Amino acid sequence: MTVIQIKNVSRWYGNVVAVNDITMDIGPGVTGLLGPNGAGKSTILHMIAGFLAPSRGTLTVHPVLGEPVPTWRNPDIYRSLGLVPERDSVYAFLTGEEFVRSTARLHKLGNPDAATRKAIEMTDMGQAADRRIATYSKGMRQRIKVAAALVHEPEILLLDEPFNGMDPRQRIHMMELLGKLGAEGCTILFSSHILEEVERLSGTIQVMVAGRLAASGDFRAIRRLMTSRPHVFNVRSSDDRRLAALLVGRPYTTAVELTAKGLQVRTSDFGAFCAQIAVLTRDHKIALRELLPTDESLESVFGYLISSQGS
Amino acid sequence: MSADTSATSASGTASVIHDLGYRRYDGPRLGRAQIIRALAWHSFRGAFGLGRGAKAKIVPLVALIALCLPAVVNAFVMSRGNPRAVDYDTYTPALRDLVMTVFVAVQAPELVSRDLRSRVLPLYFARPIKTIDYPLAKYLAFTGACLVMLEVPLLLLYAGSIANVHGGSAVWAETRALIPGLLVGLMWAVVLAAISLFLASLTGRRAFATGAVAIVLLLTFTLAEILLQVEGPQNQGPQAAAIKGGPGGPIQVHPLVYVPSLADKVSGLFSPFTLFDGVRMWLGGTNPADSVSSPGGFGVVYALVLVAITALCLYGLAARYRKARLS
Amino acid sequence: MSAYFNPTIAALTLRATLGRRRAFLFAIPAVILIALTLVLRASKPGPDVLWPDRVLGDFGFSVLLPLTALIVGTGVLGAEIDDGSAIHLLATPVRRGSIVVTKFAVAAAVTALFAAVPELLAGLLAPDSAKLAFALFVGALAGSLIYSAVFVLASVLTTRAIAFGLLYVLIWEGLLSNLVGGARILSIAHYCLGIANAIHPDTNLNAGLTLATSVILGAIVTVGALILATRRLSGFAIQGEPV
Repeated sequence: MTVIQIKNVSRWYGNVVAVNDITMDIGPGVTGLLGPNGAGKSTILHMIAGFLAPSRGTLTVHPVLGEPVPTWRNPDIYRSLGLVPERDSVYAFLTGEEFVRSTARLHKLGNPDAATRKAIEMTDMGQAADRRIATYSKGMRQRIKVAAALVHEPEILLLDEPFNGMDPRQRIHMMELLGKLGAEGCTILFSSHILEEVERLSGTIQVMVAGRLAASGDFRAIRRLMTSRPHVFNVRSSDDRRLAALLVGRPYTTAVELTAKGLQVRTSDFGAFCAQIAVLTRDHKIALRELLPTDESLESVFGYLISSQGS
Repeated sequence: MSADTSATSASGTASVIHDLGYRRYDGPRLGRAQIIRALAWHSFRGAFGLGRGAKAKIVPLVALIALCLPAVVNAFVMSRGNPRAVDYDTYTPALRDLVMTVFVAVQAPELVSRDLRSRVLPLYFARPIKTIDYPLAKYLAFTGACLVMLEVPLLLLYAGSIANVHGGSAVWAETRALIPGLLVGLMWAVVLAAISLFLASLTGRRAFATGAVAIVLLLTFTLAEILLQVEGPQNQGPQAAAIKGGPGGPIQVHPLVYVPSLADKVSGLFSPFTLFDGVRMWLGGTNPADSVSSPGGFGVVYALVLVAITALCLYGLAARYRKARLS
Repeated sequence: MSAYFNPTIAALTLRATLGRRRAFLFAIPAVILIALTLVLRASKPGPDVLWPDRVLGDFGFSVLLPLTALIVGTGVLGAEIDDGSAIHLLATPVRRGSIVVTKFAVAAAVTALFAAVPELLAGLLAPDSAKLAFALFVGALAGSLIYSAVFVLASVLTTRAIAFGLLYVLIWEGLLSNLVGGARILSIAHYCLGIANAIHPDTNLNAGLTLATSVILGAIVTVGALILATRRLSGFAIQGEPV
């Protein structure tokens, strides 16, 4: 079920193309928008949030209640959309609670006080809610912005680099919160250039490089799709040299390297290798001690996509 | 210098620092003077909006054109055979007061408030300069910019007059009249730059700084003018002349003994613009401006107040940057 | 109109405008106006000098009113746009027209409080000027409305609203429109003078427009500015940042 639909969207500023013909559909759950700086993540987020018009293409939001509507020049989308911008600016002279409560009032909520309390508790800002925002640390400001974005219980939550400035404890808490909301059916789209965050939190990722969409989907699946680059495994066994000789003879092996820590095997056929390594070691009476895919992390996926886009 | 340095840690594995070809710069380094000059040049350009977008150039350009208009009109008038309509040392005071107010109010924040807002001061001070160098460079730059705004119209006026008079003695007379005008312009530039930079350095928000400078200059101006028109001779024209008042000057109210000339003289102390006029006439300038009548011996006080204001503002400006804080 | 005015935004704007150092900027001129009036009253100048006109007219009207309106009007929305906190206001379903009108109302009220009311007080304090004071007060009220609308529009159009506004107030209104007769129809100060002059005719005010012209033009400018500001705010784009 598509909640946010982006079709052939481009955005340029004079000669600079910030977003280049992007098409993607975003559904419920947590989606990570990943990319290096300058990739166009903020631009796409601002366009989805209705704060930037696309130079070409359409962005529509499909709320549960209501018609699919374009995001530009349409303040009504904010009934079901919450935005946490990256910029650090909030009304510094208000206390955290006043800020969230005035946001609740602006959303014309029936019971602004209850909604405020709930949002503040969700973001764990209860202790600091009655202090002025000018006294908050950066991570606290992020959290109060998230509280303000959640106060009207939106179906869609957009976060631009939400973990900027958060210490590890705050980050874990925020990830749990977002994970919980995502599991409850909220559509969460957050942008980041930090791979660990995206890896831990989102199921689906959208990778943007230089304004283009480089890949979308589950990152493990993406890795597997990249067949042109061999998979690398670290293997430790009772007899590395003999195993190496055996592997070299197999068609799915492209390279084997003997290192101090064991074997490093490059294979072009992930499926065949996984299916056959156990059989191979059993048949030749070699004990397999460790089998680690070394590059199925998001980092290697990311690095591969970036380098292939760049060339 | 190509050897790798290495050390062996306790466990026996070697740690190495690799030589990647990093070299220190051993060549000649320019000194403080060059840094100040570079910063001053960059700021001078910024005062006219050069190096920024188009919108930044609008106010300086409009101000310069507005100031040059009387010179152009005068050239036109003189070509018809009339004598010179505009004086060098007063130069349409109503126009100049207002236009310079706009210029310094809008551009002084461009020089100093921007750096405060974007928190780049530590970048500047992480260079081999003393903390006095930054405000010095800014002050030099802005004084230079105000000089351009004030002297270019005078030079245009001069050129227009020269083109329309005949004979060496007439040209010499024009030149002799020009020199005091240029000096008056210098006085304006030095003082106005100090006041506006000091006020603008107090905040990082440009709009706030512009408002503060505008309010201070205009308030004092209107204040002094009202006092002058009320206390002084009844020869006021319908123009809204500038009212001057020192930003640090106390509101001196003369006691109820109504001595027109002294109250009149004191009233002129309240604004930089009237102070300029007072000093100008004290030093022998002709043609009293709309509001200030010649202060005679009292002119010393005018000059002293002017110097005191400038010194205070410069001191404040330097003190503002003594600590290389983030903002 | 009541559907347009948003109390939450009004409260926030009022707090933001009055709660900081910025408030000094427009409080001090008002205080000085009153102080000046008291001082001049005490010093009793001669009967030839029509000093209430000068004080109330030149200072109060031509300097105090436009400058206060400029600082307040460009600040109510401009300050938030400038530091980026406007996005929290805009990411709500509040109608853009409502935002503009509410901010305009706050700006007009604060300007009236700090420019029009001191005018009235100063006029009442000055001898024999009650009628003039009232006329200028009404003119200043009109000025609060018209100036605020124009400056709110300016702050939506550009981040340099106060610079251009200052150019307008000092160069255009201060000089040019007084020199060129026909240009008066483009000068907000003259709308206000026209209204004030209609209530209490006074040649020293130098008003050039009739009441009808002033009111009509003033209304057109005010409403037009608010409509334009709403349209621009509806398409508010976060500038730059091609990241």
